[in-house]
Amino acid sequence: MESADLILSADQPGKVLFAKTALDGHWRGPAVVVHVLRDAGFEVIYLGMATADEIAAAAVQEDADLVGLNVGGSLAVVMRILDELEASAPDVGVMLGGTIQPQHRSALAVRGVSTFPPGSMFSDIVEEARRLVEGRRRTREDVTSA
Amino acid sequence: MSAGQGEGSERYFTASGIPLQGWYGPSDVPAQSQEAAAGPPGVPPYVRGAYPGMYRTKPWRVFQLSGHGNPEDERERILFLLNQGETGFIMEHDRNTADHLYNVDHPEVVARREDVGQTGAVIQSVSDYETILDGIDMGHYYAHPGGAVVQHAPFALGCYWTVARRRGLDLSRLAGTGQSDFFLTYLGCIPKRQIPTEAGVRLNTDIIEFCGQYLPRWVPVSIAAYNAADTGLNAYQELAALFANAVVYLDEIKRRAPENLAKLAYMVGGINLRVAMDFFEDICKMRAARKMWADLLRRRYGITDPRATRLRIHIVTAGSALAYQQPLNNIARGTIMAMASVLGGTQSLGVATYDEAMSVPSEHAHQMSLRIQQIIHHESNIPAVADPLGGSHYVEALTAELERRAWEMFEEIESRGGFAAVLDEGWLHSLAAVNQVNLAEAVNWGTKTMVGVNAYTEDVTPWEMGGFEPVEGVWEKSMERLRSVRRERDGRTAVAALRDLESVCRGDGNIMPAVMEAVSAQATLGEFGDVFSEVFGDWKVPISF
Repeated sequence: MESADLILSADQPGKVLFAKTALDGHWRGPAVVVHVLRDAGFEVIYLGMATADEIAAAAVQEDADLVGLNVGGSLAVVMRILDELEASAPDVGVMLGGTIQPQHRSALAVRGVSTFPPGSMFSDIVEEARRLVEGRRRTREDVTSA
Repeated sequence: MSAGQGEGSERYFTASGIPLQGWYGPSDVPAQSQEAAAGPPGVPPYVRGAYPGMYRTKPWRVFQLSGHGNPEDERERILFLLNQGETGFIMEHDRNTADHLYNVDHPEVVARREDVGQTGAVIQSVSDYETILDGIDMGHYYAHPGGAVVQHAPFALGCYWTVARRRGLDLSRLAGTGQSDFFLTYLGCIPKRQIPTEAGVRLNTDIIEFCGQYLPRWVPVSIAAYNAADTGLNAYQELAALFANAVVYLDEIKRRAPENLAKLAYMVGGINLRVAMDFFEDICKMRAARKMWADLLRRRYGITDPRATRLRIHIVTAGSALAYQQPLNNIARGTIMAMASVLGGTQSLGVATYDEAMSVPSEHAHQMSLRIQQIIHHESNIPAVADPLGGSHYVEALTAELERRAWEMFEEIESRGGFAAVLDEGWLHSLAAVNQVNLAEAVNWGTKTMVGVNAYTEDVTPWEMGGFEPVEGVWEKSMERLRSVRRERDGRTAVAALRDLESVCRGDGNIMPAVMEAVSAQATLGEFGDVFSEVFGDWKVPISF
């Protein structure tokens, strides 16, 4: 990363759960993004092709700070994952990359999900991951202090 | 300054990292390459082209990937493409079902049912093939009726050939390919369940032998090094992996029936390469591939039959070279890659559509890919002369260098235990991963310029382009069709046919007759998967993240 402030310090590791939403085993895109996130100091758990139930369960079990999704199919499948996560891990942020149809990006933005199509810059991906981790920690602090 | 250093201090490389001089002269071309470059096309070692008359006598096949939704949607798109000038047709299958050999009622598919049909049509029985092929002249067109995935090919081919037989067509007149490619699902796009590589080699060799006996015009396996390249392997790694794969089939044929080797070697010599955005390197790669195939057959197997040693190439232009941003720029990229394909002497061409990065192709994107090919064919005058770049010092030197590096890596694969071993151990995957990251980093840091992505990002396109929206409700309709197949078939015949298939799989006979029987008895995709999985077990995926 060009600027040092994009790198999380070792005592503040963000934990990313990374999954593929479709039964489509292409791994080139995910491999690069996982590399980028680890390079920036994140701990990444790669779940591979997983269902909404599996992703939500793993997010809870792993105490993930955020979920990264690689999509390659319909918006409805992604929405089901978002619903499941909202129900079982509401403070976990979600970001998403892959073959995203441009017309679906606004519907995802409404749900608070940023989208990273092919060609996205690493710094944008890392910055969003950091924002989501910090958001979750703030939420937790608020809950603790309340 | 040495002969070809040229001006400027910056160093230049090909996409695969071969250092480039500023210019090339006669002394840069190895002596043996000069000899091959001086010969005509259509004779071994075929550096200058596969056929004497090249495009004057045989235009390349216009051959686009297509398919989505229900069988009716697949049929409609194929007819659209054929009406627009496509000269062969491809049936793309839904990844969720076909890659894994799942029916749509498999829990893994049910959990993502809205994805079904988004990446290809859902095809679960020979009846679905009947629907797609209704009104399409199977005797006239070269077809790729699915089966790009090794474990899927027996089912796909069995269905297509069964429909042909029902129509009274002579199988020996049918032309096409099922592909059965290892690079697709053992390297680039790894499914949840898949038979081990060893079983895959057996199925593919069965298909090769079956075609040798009954379908002489069929390309039984079309090694798709495209998939290796688009996963990350560079140009010479792509060549090396291609031929390392080919010798697996040839060795197995030789072991089974040495007397058929020359005849069946011809059938292995229809292959698929990728052309990406290094214009000259990819042209040279095609020229090198033809020479390497002829040399490989002669040196390793003593085959000199000119029919066998003539490599026939299908090119798909690189999907990964296309951008999401400013997608119309991809029409320019597609044109450059298609030109390279023709200058390299391809026999068949699919141009990845300009909306590649966002969805399966729209009709318009498909039309543009056809038009790119047609403009090159009819307007550019490029096809008038065979191998027009042959004899260029640069092109001959680069062809020779790619060949040299490819043989070096081929030897390394052999020394590591051969093709199946380097797939099983994840060695090719790690090579691909290194290149993937290097390329992504180069674009990210701007050391490699990608127009519209990391440079010239302002866009005044007067509208926003959307991705293609495949039809909805495909899963529901597929469930209905599946139920109706199960209801209407003679259950006992289907079960018996599947039991026969299982017993042939457990033995060492050719599986294809039993596959044809099972398909005719309306055995479904998922049932084939269950038999294969039961008999052969699962491949252990060698990579983790």
